[in-house]
This record gives sequence, structure tokens and C-alpha cells, in this order.
Amino acid sequence: MKFQLPEIHHDYASFEVLTSLHEKTKECFFDEIEIDMRAVRWFDADMCAAFGAILHSLRARLNDVNLIHIPPAVEAILSKNSFLSHYGRARIPDHWGTTITYKRFDVEDDHYFANYIESELIHRSEIPEMSLGLLKRFRESIFEIFSNAVLHSESQLGIFSCGQFFPKRNRLDFTVTDLGIGIRQNIENHEGLKFSPMRAINWATEELNTTKRSNLPGIPGGLGLKLLCEFIDLNRGCIQIVSDAGYWQRKNTKTITRPLTYPFPGTVVSVEINTADTHAYGLVSELNADDIF
Amino acid sequence: MSEAIRISIFEVVGSSLCVASGDGQKVYERLNAALEADRDVVLSFDNVTALTSAFLNAAVGQLYGTFTQEQIRSLLKVEDAEQDDLALLKRVVDNAKLYFKNTKGYDQAVEETQENEDEETQSKGGESTQLYFE
Repeated sequence: MKFQLPEIHHDYASFEVLTSLHEKTKECFFDEIEIDMRAVRWFDADMCAAFGAILHSLRARLNDVNLIHIPPAVEAILSKNSFLSHYGRARIPDHWGTTITYKRFDVEDDHYFANYIESELIHRSEIPEMSLGLLKRFRESIFEIFSNAVLHSESQLGIFSCGQFFPKRNRLDFTVTDLGIGIRQNIENHEGLKFSPMRAINWATEELNTTKRSNLPGIPGGLGLKLLCEFIDLNRGCIQIVSDAGYWQRKNTKTITRPLTYPFPGTVVSVEINTADTHAYGLVSELNADDIF
Repeated sequence: MSEAIRISIFEVVGSSLCVASGDGQKVYERLNAALEADRDVVLSFDNVTALTSAFLNAAVGQLYGTFTQEQIRSLLKVEDAEQDDLALLKRVVDNAKLYFKNTKGYDQAVEETQENEDEETQSKGGESTQLYFE
């Protein structure tokens, strides 16, 4: 099986490409799969999380996966972020410090994930200076995405993450992908509601719906995606969610949904953060600690 | 009157990153035991540098499934929390109150719907009806 990969950007068209790759290869077992990357002139590195998840599921079905004809510039970036280390290439040093390492985690690896975020985003001098409030909200948002995947995805094959800084554009992209049941199936299993994939993502990001059934007995439903959307609105960033055959994007407080031709085998949550944001996140209306409960 | 029990989140989790639902569960178990014993508890957020709603849902939110709002309000106090952490805790607590208020009604509604569907299915000779949105 051969697949020609085009350029991969952080957008709907590239999710169409990746879901098409999954569709064409989902029945492959013990096969040899060649991904021909000669046409890839650009690869948004955070998308390694989604691409890597699909390739990991192929390998889990004992397929031999080879990435061939990778243009040197793309090979360099995918070697710096450690993605190609999974495909037989050596990692090369990232002198500019703009990559955030590609990693796979198991669902019980919360602590490893937390330490990874701290070492990749906090304890590095190359990271663009962000206000303390922004940095705290950003870290917590990333943790919310991971917790959401841990709690709701039922992923057996793990959770994948990767990121990239664009210092000149004051942008930080970060993507988390799971290979779980997807948002639509989760809502059907736990709420008994049959939604389209797009409607399911909309539903999961609305606060009141988190107060309905939870898939953890005795524990209220999560607020994670709702909090993430609020943060992205304030930050003037962008969030894209792909789950099943649904694409959902929120940018400039506006939501767009589009169907994908083929389903993604799990869920992708991808955020673009505006690192030049000077919004005072620390300032919230004064709350009295005696008035919480 | 016995002194309030002090529970340090940092100490229970063993890290300043209080983000995992499983770690929240450890805090919940201590809070639950103290409230069951009708003891005053102080929950300290000292040294906590990152929090998630998933952690707080497990640690505090699920208390509302066992204890009344009045019990929790009279026995549980919070200390050393930053304003934004308090804001997140308040969101989680409000969410939990709504959730447990809804759960009883929701479960009842689901049971009733299920019963109606079962009857309908039988009357249609085994064909089930499903609702689709969008």
C-alpha cells in the first residue's frame, strides 16, 4: 500500500488528508505501508500528534510503516521534535528551541504528561515570554485537554501530543490526539443521545451539558472543553476539534463546523495560542473563600 | 470542640501540579472520611501551581453526591488559594450542585423513557425507535 502525502497544515484540508489516510489503510494488517512525502513542502509540526496517532494504529495492527522521500527541510523539523525517531531517524538538536517534542502517553500517564509540559513549556529559556497569567491559563488548558482525553476517550492505544512555536508570528500551536471512541460515541454511550459528529462536538463544549450524566460514576461531568473555549476566546487564539467525521473550529468567538469525508479514529484537539496576549488573566472578580460551597 | 483537620493538596498529590483526576480522588477520599466523621476540615491549596476542573471535580465535586450543601458549607473551608483557583473551584462546585440536582431527575427520566421504549418496542414487535438530532 502506498500513500502520497501532500503538505500538512493546521487546518480542515489537512484533516481531510489524514482521515483519508486512515480510511485507505484501516483494513491493513501485516501489510507494508509506504508514505511518500516528496510533495510535503510544509508540515505544521504539531500535526505530528494526529499523523503519528494514525501511524501508531497502523503499527499496532503489525503493519510495517515507512516514510520515504522526505524533503530535507521537513525531515529536519520532524527530526528535531523527535517524531522521526519513531521511524528510524536520529533526533537532531533544536538550536532555535521552537519545537515541542512529539510524545505518546498511555491514559494512566497523567504525571508523565504533567512533567513533559513543565519541561517543554516552563523550564526552557527559548519559550517566548508570556505573562504569568497567560502561562498559567495556557498550561491548565493543556492539562484540561489531556484530562479530557484520559477521562472520556477510552483510548487503548494512547494519547499523542506535539507542539511548535512560531516566534515571529507570536503563535504557539499544540495538539493532543487520542485513539478512543470519539465524542459522538461517548455521548451516545453515556447520554443515550444520537448526534451527528459535528453536533456532538458542539454539545460537548456547552457548559450546561456537562452537568448531565458523567461516564465516571459519582463524579460530575467535566468542564474541560468549555474552559478551554473560554480561554481561547479571551486569548484570541483558535481551537480545532476533530472527532469521528466532524470538524469544529472556534476562532474570534465564532464557531464553524464542517463534516469530514471520512472519520478520524478518535479525537484531535488542536490549539493556537497568541503568545503576545497581554490580557490580565489573574484578575477575576474577588471571591471570598468562605463563599465557595 | 476538636481542632479542624488540615489537608494539604500538595502533600496528598506529592506535586504542585494538581491536574489528574486520579490525584483528585486521593484528596476526595480524605475529605470524605473527615466529613463522614463530622469533622471540620481545612483544605489547603498552598504550593499548588496548576489545577484542572477534572482534578477538582474528583476531589471536591463528588462530595455533593454524598453530603448536603449545608454539611459541606459548615465543615469544609479553603485556605491559601489564589483568586483564579477559587474561581475554578467555584465553577466546579456550582457544576456539581447542578449535576447532582439533575442526576436524580435525569435518572428517573431515563428510566421512564426506557420503560416507555420497552413498551413501544414490544408493541412494534421488537423494532426500536431512536431519536436523531441534526
